[in-house]
Parts: sequence; structure tokens; C-alpha cells
Amino acid sequence: MQLARMLLGTMVATAFVGSAHADSRFALGTTVFRESGGPLNMLVIAPAAETSLELLDELAVDANWTADIVSGASVAVVDDPGAVDTITSASVADIRHAFSGGVEFRGESTSLRGGMGYAFENDYRSLSFDLSARTELFDRNTGLQLAYTRGLDDVCDAPNARGQFQRLDSSVGCFKDKDTRATRDLNLHTLQGAWSQAWTPVLTMQTTVTAQLLNGFQGNPYRAVWNGSASQENHPENRARYSAGLELRLWIKPLNGALSAFGRAYRDTWNITSLTTQLAYEQVISGGLRIRGSGRYYNQTAAAFYSDNYVLQPAGQYFTGDRELSSMRSLLLGLKVTWAVPSNDEGYVLGFLNSFELVASFDLLKSWFDDFHYGTQNVPNTLALVASLGLQAGF
Amino acid sequence: MQASPSSSSPRRRGLLTRVLVFVALATVLGACATVRPEEREFLAEPAMTFSAGGMTDAHQEHVLNNREGSYGGGSAKGGGCGCN
Repeated sequence: MQLARMLLGTMVATAFVGSAHADSRFALGTTVFRESGGPLNMLVIAPAAETSLELLDELAVDANWTADIVSGASVAVVDDPGAVDTITSASVADIRHAFSGGVEFRGESTSLRGGMGYAFENDYRSLSFDLSARTELFDRNTGLQLAYTRGLDDVCDAPNARGQFQRLDSSVGCFKDKDTRATRDLNLHTLQGAWSQAWTPVLTMQTTVTAQLLNGFQGNPYRAVWNGSASQENHPENRARYSAGLELRLWIKPLNGALSAFGRAYRDTWNITSLTTQLAYEQVISGGLRIRGSGRYYNQTAAAFYSDNYVLQPAGQYFTGDRELSSMRSLLLGLKVTWAVPSNDEGYVLGFLNSFELVASFDLLKSWFDDFHYGTQNVPNTLALVASLGLQAGF
Repeated sequence: MQASPSSSSPRRRGLLTRVLVFVALATVLGACATVRPEEREFLAEPAMTFSAGGMTDAHQEHVLNNREGSYGGGSAKGGGCGCN
């Protein structure tokens, strides 16, 4: 029976591949995220697979899967800040699977894509629908894109009545036991517009604006804040987020490489504002090899209701233990190596593919939380490593 | 702190206005650019193509979204060079 299924699967895959046009692709990769310091540490292994098949000139479908295999203890539990060791931690072990797919209709210079996604783990479920349209104008020098995504999320929580702030102690019973677990909703609307423009034969630009509206439970159910007792963090239910980014890419002929500069401004109704700047250079080396180095600096202000000490300095009816809602800075340094395997005289790679690329990247992320403390202690886990390996085949 | 339902309509109208201004600006300024198809050799390079980073860039964005208080404004797929 299993053999029959495998044969059927192979036949279906072969039929799709056989009927696929030149713009079909398949990608496979894994990313490892490691963050540690003191009692707080986290390891996330994220394998992923993506495929896109151009069935006709006007029709393409895609299907994607990724997982986050999480282990470690990154959630600080502040049950008694008077203790000598104020940072104890909650053990985390979970697997998140995310599936998505879509259908794209393509015209001469326009395309329309509709898709959906579903992600689940022990304590979180997410359903999303997306719709995007893209068009190219003026000899394809101008590209305009508009995309909308609707998210419907469910978060597992302790069964708190109004005014109760008991934190969730584990994910046992989530979405199953209605007596000991509650389900909170989170609704998301995300609208994004992008304008891409080729200004000269060596200069191109893209500017992107994003607006996101969130309504519902936006806290971490495991996280507690000390405000006289250990209370689950309590965030506002509504949040509107706005950002605008601009990226320029310049081809430097004498060096045979590309310089890119990116800037982004962000603000939201929780009063967080941030600025992001990034500079990157990608060098093309002979034999299909490319090396990209990048540096990114990020700086944000704190949320209006953030306080480092809710006993001495309460900040209204809301309270948070989220370090990413305090003022913070971060620096990311990245290195990425891509090797596009050269094609033969007939234009094929490895005898039958249109293209084949291997990618390896390594990022180092250092964060500073000057105004966030666990009791009297500084945030210990401020250094993260992100390493990725991947391959992409076009057929 | 929380947006009331009555304040959402003007906000949505404001957002719509900004989107329309954005599209109009892109259309008007875009018409000024005159890169001919035969001049796109360098624009077609992967290093010059937005969102050519694929899966590794998506993973990096996923990490940053979880390690910062901000969201959005990043790159969108394709467009602008006629090479997608």
C-alpha cells in the first residue's frame, strides 16, 4: 500500500514537472537560531521546503512548508524579584509547523495571486488568507505591488476572568481542556504597497509601505511581571503599526558588484518608533560564486506603557515583561555565500535543471536593552547566531 | 491607547489617501525613467534584484520580527528591472 502511494506520488510529481514551464522552482533549506546567556537560552531549528510550478504561461501554483523546532528556556519567570537569583526560566519545547500555498494568474505585465496558510503548535494556531496584485509599467521599469493579508490567530491562555492575571504554566491541555485552558483570539489585517523603479542601467530602487492592524490577545501568556505579585503581562487589545522602507541598489561596474543601502522608519499606536539602516555589498566572483556582506543597525523607543519597575513606576493599566517593548538597539552583521552551479553548453545544470544554487549564510545579532532588567540584573541573552543552508533548483 | 470604532473610519480614509498618493507618485515619476531593455544587463543580476534572497532572507526576517518591536517596510518581490 505504501509502495503504491509512493509510485502514485512519483507519477503525479513527474506529470507536474513534465508539464511545468521554465519558471518552476524548488527550494530546500534549514536555519539554526541560537541565543544564550545566563539561565536563558533558546535553540530553534527551522527546516523549510518551497515549490512553485508554472503549469501554464498564465498559471502557477506554489506550496510551502516550514517548521520551528524550539527547545530551551527563553522565558524569564519573575515570581520573586527579591530573591538572589531573580531570573528563573520556563522550559520550552515545541514544534511549530506552517503550511502555505497559493495560485497565481499571470498576464503580460500583471499578476494576481491568492493564497492561504495554516500554522500550528501546542499553544498557538494561525490561519491566514492573502491576496496580492502586481503590475509593471513603462517598459517594465516601474513595478507596483499591493498585498493584503488577513490573519486569524488563536492563543492558548490560562482561564483568567476579567481582572485576573494568572500566567499560563504550560501548554498541557491547550485547545482541548476547556476547564483549565482558555483560547484568546487575535485578528490581523496587513496591507502592503511597494514601488520598484529602475532609474538608470545601474541604479534601482524599491520603496515599501506597510500598515498592520491587530485586535485581540497580544501578550505572551507565559510571561509575568512583578507589580506586587507575579501578574501575567497585560497588553492593549488594539495596535496599529505603520512602516515605510526605501532601498537603493547600485551596480559598480569596475568592481563587478552591487552596493545596497536600506532605511526604514516605523511607528505604532503603542508609541514605539524605530529607525533601521542597513548597508550591504555583494561581490560577483567568477564561476557563479557571489559573496554578500551586510551590516544593519536598529534603534527603537519604548512602548508608552512600558516600565522597568511597575511597583515604583507604574505606567497605567497595562504592563509588560516583553524586552522588545522597552527601548532597545541591535546590530546585525551578516555574511552570505551563493554558488550558482554553471550550466553546460546546452544551458542545463546537472544535465536537466535550468538553474541550481547553493546558499550558506551566517548572521550575528547583538542587542542592547539599557532600560530593561530582571529585578536588578541585566538581560543576559543578548547575543544570537543565525546560520542557514539552502539549495534552490529551477526547472 | 485603544482605537475606538468611531475613529477608525477617518484613519482608513487617511490610509487610502496615502496609498493613492503613493501610486500616483510612482506612476508620474516612473514615467521619467528611460532604461531600455537592452540596457538591463546589470539590473538583471541577482544582486540587483529585490527579494532574490529567497528562503534565507525570509528566515532572517522571521528572526528579526521576533526580536524587535517593529514590523514591515521590508522588500517586496520583483518588479522594476524587467527581469523577473
